Amino acid sequence: MSRVLISARGLKIRFGGVIAADGIDLDVLEGENLAIIGPNGAGKTTFLNMATGYLRPQAGTVSFLGQDITALPPRTITKLGIARAFQIPQLFLDQTVLENMMIAAAAHAGSMSAFRHLLDLPERKEVEDLLDLVGVRAFANRKAFELPEGQRKLVDIALALALKPTVLLMDEPTSGVASGEKLGLMDILTSALARQKVSSVFVEHDMDMVERYAHRVAVWSSGKIQVVGPPAEVLKNTEVREHVIGI
Amino acid sequence: MDSTIVILAICDGISYAALVFLVSVGLSLIFGVLRIVNVAHGSLYAYGAYMAATLSLLVAPISPWLTFPALLVASVLVGAIVGGLMERFLLRPVYHLEEVLQLLITFAVFMIMDNLQRMIWGVQPIFAAEPVKLLPNISILGVNYTSYQVLLLPLVAVITLFGLRYFLRYTLAGSIIMAVTEDREAATAIGIDARRVFLITFIIGASLAALGGALASPTTSLVPGMGTDMIVLSFAVAATAGLGQIEGAAVTALMIGLARAFIIYIQPELEVLVPYLIMMLVLLIRPMGLFGVNRVRKI
Repeated sequence: MSRVLISARGLKIRFGGVIAADGIDLDVLEGENLAIIGPNGAGKTTFLNMATGYLRPQAGTVSFLGQDITALPPRTITKLGIARAFQIPQLFLDQTVLENMMIAAAAHAGSMSAFRHLLDLPERKEVEDLLDLVGVRAFANRKAFELPEGQRKLVDIALALALKPTVLLMDEPTSGVASGEKLGLMDILTSALARQKVSSVFVEHDMDMVERYAHRVAVWSSGKIQVVGPPAEVLKNTEVREHVIGI
Repeated sequence: MDSTIVILAICDGISYAALVFLVSVGLSLIFGVLRIVNVAHGSLYAYGAYMAATLSLLVAPISPWLTFPALLVASVLVGAIVGGLMERFLLRPVYHLEEVLQLLITFAVFMIMDNLQRMIWGVQPIFAAEPVKLLPNISILGVNYTSYQVLLLPLVAVITLFGLRYFLRYTLAGSIIMAVTEDREAATAIGIDARRVFLITFIIGASLAALGGALASPTTSLVPGMGTDMIVLSFAVAATAGLGQIEGAAVTALMIGLARAFIIYIQPELEVLVPYLIMMLVLLIRPMGLFGVNRVRKI
């Protein structure tokens, strides 16, 4: 049985009249890609926010490898090993891809030297390997704002991997990417995760992606998790098909 | 206009511009990263000057040449200690407040520091002109001028300009500062400690103000209120250049410094007016400043 990495218990949060989480219990297991699906506004992103310290649940706890992380700030959670990739890649657009990566790697190492040249730091080799791994090494010296959306997403993933996470939480990794490029992006992404032994949680709307790349899928609807299980089973569930997928 | 006056005005303008640049680039850097207009920046200039004079008078009997390192030590001391304490205990608690409140608070800090300065150094003018006397005068087309003012001050300003740009562009710490400036949330997401970055940036900015004061100290008598003139002027330079613009601050400081120097020889009563007249004209035409761009976060 796989080890439990992130464990959410009884999470509750409401925004005004909207209940985004109403007693959520969810585990993220070692080695898996867990997809979260559900209607818009159901609270999927809210879960990512609660697991990374951006939002505090009104009740319930989130723990990571047995340690309660519910009230910790995002930065501390990142250091513990939960990295985050956002729907819109959060890159420093005025800096090159390599500089972005070096900043992340150095931030993770906790160094902040005023005298060392950014590109001469010992993390350079590791960073270049990561760029190779996601196939964007060719763009290393381009400024982040010059890259097309798909490449920017890949750099964002490489950036998250530079933080040496145990789990990577992703909000719609393929949104904004042309449909013909989605499979390619997910192939690169999942093989990079497997290679680095990083487990992942991803919020997704595209059922094709879920079916192909998730080991388990959790259906989030009206603040509750309706079903969790392997995609083959869950996506056949009539209720899920009617209410979530809309078929 | 007599050529002697032209040369004098140019020398005055350049040496004054160098000091104004140091102070305003510090103000601009702090604004670019912390998004706070620090009125108390003028106090750091004044403290830098007084501290430099105190140290200079202390070391001059040993060797007058020690007054030069004393200027530098004074700036770093004031920047790190006074600046560090100011950021940690007075600004950090108010970052989440509205800008108007932040402005009022830094103004209060300015008033308090101004009075504290009178308590520490008194109200009698202080002179510590040793460094100016040590360096020879030079003759420019027959006009004598101190090389301290016309060579050393601009040299320090130019080194600061390029040093700061190199630091922000190529070093690890500088890149991290730039990253926080561009997107604080993203920087925090990858594990950068934004609070530490704020503190370090503030200390650098404060040290630059103090350096301006320290370098000014041998050229003038130190009196209460010297910080007020400087903060208003450096604010005019930073705003005219566009807040957060480093190279822009250099060009604008030179422009305002020269304009002010010339008007002193032509129509002295307009001296105070000229910098603000320039600022007003520029901001009427380009509200983001001469070098400002319409994107908010930029240093």
